[in-house]
Amino acid sequence: MIIRSSDEVPRTTVLKRFPVPRNFGVDAASRINRGRTWPAPRGATRIKRFDVYRYDPESGQNPRIDTYQVDLDDCGPMVLDVLIWIKNTVDPSLTFRRSCREGVCGSCAMNIDGTNWLACTKFNADLATPATIYPLANMRIIKDLVPDLTHLFAQHRLVEPWLRSKSPEPERERLQSPQERAQLDGLYECILCFCCTSGCPSHWWNGDRFLGPAVLLQATRWLVDSRDEATGERLDDLEDPFRLYRCHTILNCTRTCPKGLNRGKAIADVKKMPIERRS
Amino acid sequence: MSNARMRSPLGRALGLGSAKDGVEAWWRERVWAVALAPLTVWLTVSILMRADKGYAAVVAWLKMPVTTTLMTLLLVALFHHIAFGLQVVIEDYVHSRIKIPVLVGMRLGCLALGVAGLVAILKIALGA
Amino acid sequence: MTRAPSDRQRPLSPNIQIYRPQLTSVLSIGNRITGIALSAYAVALVIWLVAAAAGPDAYAAVDAFIGSWVGRIVLFGGTFCLFFHFCGGIRHLVWDAGYGFSLRAIYASGWAVVAASIALTALTYVVGAILAGYGP
Repeated sequence: MIIRSSDEVPRTTVLKRFPVPRNFGVDAASRINRGRTWPAPRGATRIKRFDVYRYDPESGQNPRIDTYQVDLDDCGPMVLDVLIWIKNTVDPSLTFRRSCREGVCGSCAMNIDGTNWLACTKFNADLATPATIYPLANMRIIKDLVPDLTHLFAQHRLVEPWLRSKSPEPERERLQSPQERAQLDGLYECILCFCCTSGCPSHWWNGDRFLGPAVLLQATRWLVDSRDEATGERLDDLEDPFRLYRCHTILNCTRTCPKGLNRGKAIADVKKMPIERRS
Repeated sequence: MSNARMRSPLGRALGLGSAKDGVEAWWRERVWAVALAPLTVWLTVSILMRADKGYAAVVAWLKMPVTTTLMTLLLVALFHHIAFGLQVVIEDYVHSRIKIPVLVGMRLGCLALGVAGLVAILKIALGA
Repeated sequence: MTRAPSDRQRPLSPNIQIYRPQLTSVLSIGNRITGIALSAYAVALVIWLVAAAAGPDAYAAVDAFIGSWVGRIVLFGGTFCLFFHFCGGIRHLVWDAGYGFSLRAIYASGWAVVAASIALTALTYVVGAILAGYGP
């Protein structure tokens, strides 16, 4: 089946997950146990089951999967509405990040039915039964659906995502032609939700050194900015077997981007830049 | 890096810094792959056309200068391609201290196998 | 700069254990697995050449294995791996050249790789059968 845009939901599912044991290769502290079941409130009319990853750092216990019977007639259409409904009516301890509820802040990124997306722009109607909700894949978890993004933001800081210029500071704005400005389209819109980096197998195995698609997209955004004067230094910092070239063009990033940005294309272009300056 | 807990997040992300290299390996990987592609087609078609022909026919085919040349090129490209490919696989999945020995062993293995193949080709070609 | 938060006890959220297999990742893993398998077939190629160089007896032993049922199955698997890795490799080279990155192209080329590797394997065996005299 051909997927045309990243928000397309596959109509058929051959495999919901890879055929590996649930706790395959997982360290002792990360093993997931069965949790408890929260029944639907009395009088619920349209019930859907949600399996949600839970982790309470104060309990001293391992993560678990809790099952919630959600009354879809009593909550909004999006996954975020379900989470808020659970927190308000069933289990106030459920913890997650959210802010804008319209896909521009990137806070509520999580793994929904096996792929990363924003909870606020994912329709409940598109989910399997039972629906499964995990935090972003391959992250150290602070609590429940809240991942620790410290390392990813440190990697973002590493590429110095700001204008670096050597010319004296001009009296007025730094000008850019409409064509030069158009170079930034498809790059600047990233909201740093890290759906892509969290869905990238190469970042799973080498995330300590590989920068991942989100950060590489931002690196590209500054490499192609006509006002920036540190292109050479930026390329020096990127040209590395792990930082940049650990990308194996798997393209899970492009498939999962909630903003529909083409990370794969951007990274492929950067990979060729060091060749251009050599030959 | 397992006991780097007190290090700042940026320090950890920076690690040992950029190698300022990597395009070379990436580029060679592609060049060898491009070289290997037509040679693979040639070998597949040749073997297909000579299946079930027996020892004498195979040796006669291998003795032809064209075959010797293309087979030599194929072995060189093939084992370069394998060495580059397996290097990436090993770097991806092996994170313990055996990584470097495994990489060295893999490359020596590729070298040994490639040379063995080349010697066999030459021996047949020169009729020794 | 803030100090690194202690993440010693923090659990790692599952990755491959829960992530949905997609054409993107499945073909990538497929390319890798077939590549590793083909490395073994490269060893077999060298053994075949060395046997041919060693003489008729050594060659006959290798030929007998190839002709056996196990040998035929191994050869069939190798043929499919070869075409899969070959087609997947061309797809990667096109990407490396900077083309075919729209999701539509990614999926179309992905399915094309699957179809082409099956078709080429079948074609190889049909042609082989005809050349060997089994054909019409």
